[in-house]
Amino acid sequence: MTMDWLSGYGLQLIFGAVTMLSVALVALVVGTVLGISLGTAKIYGAKPLRYSAEAYTAVVRGVPDLIVIYLIYFGGTVALTKITGQYVDINGFAAGVAALAFIFAAYAGDIFRGAIGQVPRGQTEAAHALGLSPRAAFFRIILPQAWRLALPGFGNLAIILIKQTSLISVIGLEELLRASSVISGATRQPFLVYSVAAILYLIITSIVSWGFRNAGIRSNRGFA
Amino acid sequence: MLDFSIMADAFPNLLKGAGMTGRLSILILLLGMMLAVPLAYARNAQSIWLHGPASIYILVIRGIPSLLQVFIVYYGLGQFSFVRNSALWPIFRDPFWCVIIALGLNSAAYTAEIIAGALRQVPKGLVEAAQALGLSWFQTQRKVTIPLAVRAALPAYENEVILTIKATSLASTITLLDLTGAARLEVSNTFAPYEVFLTAGAIYFCITTSLSWLLRRFEVRLSAGHRNEERRVKEFQPVLPGIPDH
Amino acid sequence: MESCSSEGGTVVMSAVTKRFGSFAALKGIGLSVDRGEKIVICGPSGSGKSTLIRCINRIEKHDGGSIVVEGCLLDHRLTNIDKVRREVGMVFQSFNLFPHMTVLENCMLAPMLVRGLKAAEAEDVAISYLRRVRIADQAAKYPSQLSGGQQQRVAIARAMCMKPKIMLLDEPTSALDPEMVKEVLNTMIELAGDGMTMICVTHEMGFARQVADRVIFMDEGAIVEEGAPEQFFRQPKTQRARDFLSQVLH
Repeated sequence: MTMDWLSGYGLQLIFGAVTMLSVALVALVVGTVLGISLGTAKIYGAKPLRYSAEAYTAVVRGVPDLIVIYLIYFGGTVALTKITGQYVDINGFAAGVAALAFIFAAYAGDIFRGAIGQVPRGQTEAAHALGLSPRAAFFRIILPQAWRLALPGFGNLAIILIKQTSLISVIGLEELLRASSVISGATRQPFLVYSVAAILYLIITSIVSWGFRNAGIRSNRGFA
Repeated sequence: MLDFSIMADAFPNLLKGAGMTGRLSILILLLGMMLAVPLAYARNAQSIWLHGPASIYILVIRGIPSLLQVFIVYYGLGQFSFVRNSALWPIFRDPFWCVIIALGLNSAAYTAEIIAGALRQVPKGLVEAAQALGLSWFQTQRKVTIPLAVRAALPAYENEVILTIKATSLASTITLLDLTGAARLEVSNTFAPYEVFLTAGAIYFCITTSLSWLLRRFEVRLSAGHRNEERRVKEFQPVLPGIPDH
Repeated sequence: MESCSSEGGTVVMSAVTKRFGSFAALKGIGLSVDRGEKIVICGPSGSGKSTLIRCINRIEKHDGGSIVVEGCLLDHRLTNIDKVRREVGMVFQSFNLFPHMTVLENCMLAPMLVRGLKAAEAEDVAISYLRRVRIADQAAKYPSQLSGGQQQRVAIARAMCMKPKIMLLDEPTSALDPEMVKEVLNTMIELAGDGMTMICVTHEMGFARQVADRVIFMDEGAIVEEGAPEQFFRQPKTQRARDFLSQVLH
């Protein structure tokens, strides 16, 4: 029994955790870029752009994550099959990352919008008065300050994202939860296996949350 | 592009699923609230024997995915023969009750955190004033603390309600035919994921959006009778407004 | 093809109007400023004086009339705005230093991004101006670590690093604690001694007496009275100016 854990199952769980973290990391990066674009569109965009951004957020907020994941996974499969003319099984990793990034972006967009709105107007005015272009003013002056304000909410979202990776198990990607299900089927000890998985999740979310708190303290340098 | 006849055919079954989603949501929110109130008071208590366990409970629940919690209750508990032999086995064998227990326990942790935060925001001076007037602890809670805390907690609780409705879709992973489960079944019959999932998504969207609109109106009405309190209520920071918590 | 020429005054405003919704902030301002001239604008709050100088570098968009700065007509054309902002420095009431950058970085940013200076050159420029406002020893600190007076002197140095031809100062001392007003005023007086064109909104009448070539008194969005400081302070022509002065001078 112990040997099984050390050799096969333990390793399988670790691989599951690694897959989970890779999905989360890629979705985090893609989702952040999308989220900043959405938040920026909501503040600076022209009316049609602004309304589309608002609609996007409203839809993602109103629909379960599972539906988004299914829609992208099965919908993507159907679309690709139609385009290529033969059955294509869409990559679970890609579909999972896309779905989680889309969901992440909707919430991150509002966090960034709030944070950008909290940067005092005088900062933009000073940047303009110094002759900085709107681009430079945004990326050099506004975004670095908004980032600091967005960090707590953003950290919260990152932890939610890590937990959401468990949903990808429904489309067959062997992340941590899926690996646990497989192992508990083999060992017939579901409670034990799922508890181990729970502890792994707890450790990872705790580390990430601690990391964001530290980053928050560090990013506050220069702010009394 | 979209085949509307498939959508129309699937609609009645999806609506039946939505009924299941509604039943699950109501029972989960009820269970969550029942557990959340004592949990919130424990969380704010002075004694470490009260706030220690409550804090750990909230921390653990919030640190692991709700789908894993559903699996632990549904698949995990059956591992033990004492559970299988107990009088409660009919409940733990039934996916319906397993989802309610798992997500109810989950919702309790988030709701407790909302309530505890709202209770902490009630100004100490008001409680002291009530006590100085001779009100008992229960009277103070009923007449001063709770009415103020409810208003402070409402925006975040509205969020929790929406998230709970969305979370019931996890029931579909343990064979229940809620709205998401019904949609999966329709898709496996029709191979039309766009039509079916878009219809299901639209139904979810209608439910959550109209409910959140209703709750917001309720919020406005609740504070409308307290015009001169408006300023004070504003000072109450709603707990994590608009940020998902699950 | 460019609409910039070097004719006329440094700043020429004619019939400038500006509305905020239904409120008319500027009602037909005409003002011409010569090179090297020091102008002090005063008036009760809400009289439009801040709006006026904020229109000069397009922080505020005027609705009607024309503004020509250094021969450039300010309109919707972005190229002209860039040109004007390069020649016009501004000091704000609330300093508006960038909190996420050190004092030195605050001063180096625009010369590097806008003037295209190399980091080493920009640092030389920054240090030389920080020295002139006597704050070079604080260059590595963040703005929040400085007093209000020090922050405002950094803000002046930051604007000077762009080597502007015109300086706009928008109530530079009104957000300061009384004991810090003097150090900032002294810096401003030194600046004036260098021959810089200055347009300054302030209630510091001592500064106006000592430095200004011309005092402009505004009320309700219009220039009510203007003249040399001696004449303005001794014999204000209008009742509104007399009322205002009696309040400011006690």
